[in-house]
Amino acid sequence: MANDTRRRFLVTTGVAASGFAGLAGCLGGSDDGNGNPSSIADAEPLGSPVDSSAVSWDDLGDLEGEVTIYSGRTREQIDPVFVELDERYENLDLNLFHDDNDVYVNQILQEGDATPADLMYSQDPGALGELERNDALQALPQDVVDAVPESYRDPDGYWTGVTGRVRSIIYHTERWADLGYDADDLPTNIFEYATDERFQDIISTRPNSGTFRGFIQAMVELEGEEATREWVRGMVTDQNVQLFSGGSNQAAAIDLGGDGDPIVGLGNSYYAARILDEDPDAPIDVAFTENDPGCLFSVAGVGVMNEVDDPELVAEFVRHLLAAEGQEFMMDANGEYPVVEGIDYVGDLPNLEDINPPSFDLSSFDMDLREAQDLLNEEGMTV
Amino acid sequence: MRPLTRYLDSAGRRLPESSRFDQSAVVLALLSGLIAFLVVSPMFWLLWQAGTVDPVRAYGLLVSSQTASVTLNSLVLMGIVTACSILLGVPLAVLTTRTDLPYPRFWTVVAALPLVIPSYIGAIAFVAMFGSGGEIDSLLGVTIPRIDGLRGAAFVITLYTYPYVFLTTRAALLSMDSSLVDAARTLNHGRLGAFRRVTLPQIRPGIAAGALLAAMYAVSDFGTPAFMQVSVFTSTIYWEFRGFAVEYAALLALQLIAIVAVILVIEAGIGRDEDASGGTGRGTTIRLGFWKWPAMGSIAALGVLTLVVPVAIFTRWLLVSQGDPIPSLEFQWEFAYNSVYLALLAALAAVSFALPVAYYSGRYNSLLSRVFERATYLGFAVPGVVIGLALVFLGTRTLPSLYRQGVWLLVFAYVVRFLPQAVGTVRSSVLQIDARTVEAASTLNAGRLETFRRVTLPLIAPGVVVGAALVFLTTMKELPMTLMLQPAGMDTLVIIIWGAQNALAYRFAAIPALLLILISGLSMLLLLRQEGYDVS
Repeated sequence: MANDTRRRFLVTTGVAASGFAGLAGCLGGSDDGNGNPSSIADAEPLGSPVDSSAVSWDDLGDLEGEVTIYSGRTREQIDPVFVELDERYENLDLNLFHDDNDVYVNQILQEGDATPADLMYSQDPGALGELERNDALQALPQDVVDAVPESYRDPDGYWTGVTGRVRSIIYHTERWADLGYDADDLPTNIFEYATDERFQDIISTRPNSGTFRGFIQAMVELEGEEATREWVRGMVTDQNVQLFSGGSNQAAAIDLGGDGDPIVGLGNSYYAARILDEDPDAPIDVAFTENDPGCLFSVAGVGVMNEVDDPELVAEFVRHLLAAEGQEFMMDANGEYPVVEGIDYVGDLPNLEDINPPSFDLSSFDMDLREAQDLLNEEGMTV
Repeated sequence: MRPLTRYLDSAGRRLPESSRFDQSAVVLALLSGLIAFLVVSPMFWLLWQAGTVDPVRAYGLLVSSQTASVTLNSLVLMGIVTACSILLGVPLAVLTTRTDLPYPRFWTVVAALPLVIPSYIGAIAFVAMFGSGGEIDSLLGVTIPRIDGLRGAAFVITLYTYPYVFLTTRAALLSMDSSLVDAARTLNHGRLGAFRRVTLPQIRPGIAAGALLAAMYAVSDFGTPAFMQVSVFTSTIYWEFRGFAVEYAALLALQLIAIVAVILVIEAGIGRDEDASGGTGRGTTIRLGFWKWPAMGSIAALGVLTLVVPVAIFTRWLLVSQGDPIPSLEFQWEFAYNSVYLALLAALAAVSFALPVAYYSGRYNSLLSRVFERATYLGFAVPGVVIGLALVFLGTRTLPSLYRQGVWLLVFAYVVRFLPQAVGTVRSSVLQIDARTVEAASTLNAGRLETFRRVTLPLIAPGVVVGAALVFLTTMKELPMTLMLQPAGMDTLVIIIWGAQNALAYRFAAIPALLLILISGLSMLLLLRQEGYDVS
């Protein structure tokens, strides 16, 4: 009974608060006359703007209303921050859809302006770049654009990275030790994985992921197309690389460690982190190459659709993702890296400086994706 | 070579009504034409998309060695699955209907139940079970070779699709006049001889109908081949799709449809409509004697492999795993409710769509009626993700304000994909109606509609229920279209299973998977009870 009363009290105050905010919005003035800005770039911050220092959620405006999100990120990756926002804001209603990243790009392009999505939360920058090239995204507010270093976002501010992660070498610790090696014996040069005979028949990758395509694109940019082709050819013909169609399947196979299973895999570091989360004793670990595409730093991020119902709310939602708490929740729960400079990385993985990823502008993923795809097709790295 | 029309128009029996022109035939033709058009409409989007591909590039893609190997893999997979499904399904159907096998009901349920388990759940379980380091290896220390590649995919898909053949063959066996077999036996035919000369021709349409469903399922399945790392049409379509090359994916999907169309025409030749109606004589049953033990043993072994193993593995995951909570994957009863609600709607819609098409094609055997009927099969062979995308496009263009509002588009997607299961079963029960009964009603001055309502409908009710149950079962299992067209917050059991698998948090897959099997199992019982109408 007491509980019931309390809930009713909360609902009432919530409604009162949102009514007041609406009124404040009308009095605010910087809009099209109907109380609504026409695009999120025109939406004034409801509280403080975000910047490259750690702005707190306390300084931002409240989130009230309905936001519809197409999430190419999986539930356990994205749940922590959404749950936190949901609990914090009584009148925030998040409509979440989960599917494959690439399915959503195709779906949004077919839906056109009829898309119910306000924003797409993408696993990788390639998908966001594809949406931008097809004019499916609108420009982000200036403070959001300025808060993120240029290499982690679109140069014109049509999408931004929210968190980062690194390509890694995932390996089965016991079976690698059985072969007589330890962690230091893993090469720090990605090209050696295509030539070193020790990896013949025991190496694996997942060629159909956005991150892998990004890795190939980065290799073409950094090392040239011929070197990239040679790497792919070496992996396919000399090393007899095992190809997986899902990152989870690949990590699970490495973890399984049977006779035919791969001992080593190229993949995103968080796959190993997930297995360790389920079973802390799992014989799996990660290593990193140095200053080459093998340890490419890439981002997961968001882009906002052309037509959104409530531009102020959507803009404020993006600000929440880039504010201190948003970044920290994703770091803690997901083992990801922050993209806002004012926030220090605290996690189990090595610091970005220690990993030494290549300096690479993620917005140069503008290269025609078809080319990366064709290169892989031509060299026979397809599943 | 026989002309095409002979394949399509080689039906045996014609009902007297079909020879004369009448109004209801025209109405039926228009109605089934409209339905065929509706369910084929997503293919127009494919044509339009494929049309945007540069012709040189399109030609290059079609004749590339990759396309050739993908086509070969798909055909081989389809061939193996179909052949093995017949080899498993037909003997099981004979065992459970024609012999003195003890507890026939129980064994029938065991043999039919694998249909309720999505093949990708089987794939997950088998990959986890076999091979060194697998569950069997770590529990018993015995290494069974890993199941993967084309053989692995064929193995797993067969185990979960043979029930199509089993169920349709069973239905055909139950409704045929088995006193003919006794007659053949008195004419000194051996058991096998009598089976080949008398039984087989009568149940052939039933076998063919089931084999067709199994073949088309095999060619459109995405999850299992992907899990087993084998390149088939579905995975290649998906691969193009992932490169945001929808137009190439559409081109490949059209190529797949072309292959399937050829198969549909060939099947129309094999599965001719034999007169399966007539007496309901039970005939004598085959006495198994000692052989009942190996017979029961084999069905039990099959049941352990297809049912007990996945259930055991999922249960184990439920019990042993630990890890951080994932709030949106936590089990809620709502997931089960949503699954059942959607599956019921889909079953209802599919049956209402199937009735005119199946009735028209069963009663009025013309080239037109056969073409309409066959057209409804195309969607079953197209990967769900392709149909899903086509409907996303059509849905947003035709009724944008209703797009992703409510379940109408999702239910329509299920109908496009699963209609043939209802058309097939309804049609075969239409074929079994004795024309004289309908004529009798007419002579008693009953109107056409009244005749249909009071005579025809009760007679085809078993077929309608079986069709609805099949659509219900497959809708419960469907994933990609559900993901693409679900209304906000309407998560279903398979969506949660998929989410859990994606997150490598199998413990969250356990309860939904077990519940999916339980609910589908109950509807399978309903389906088998329905056979009572046929038998007695």
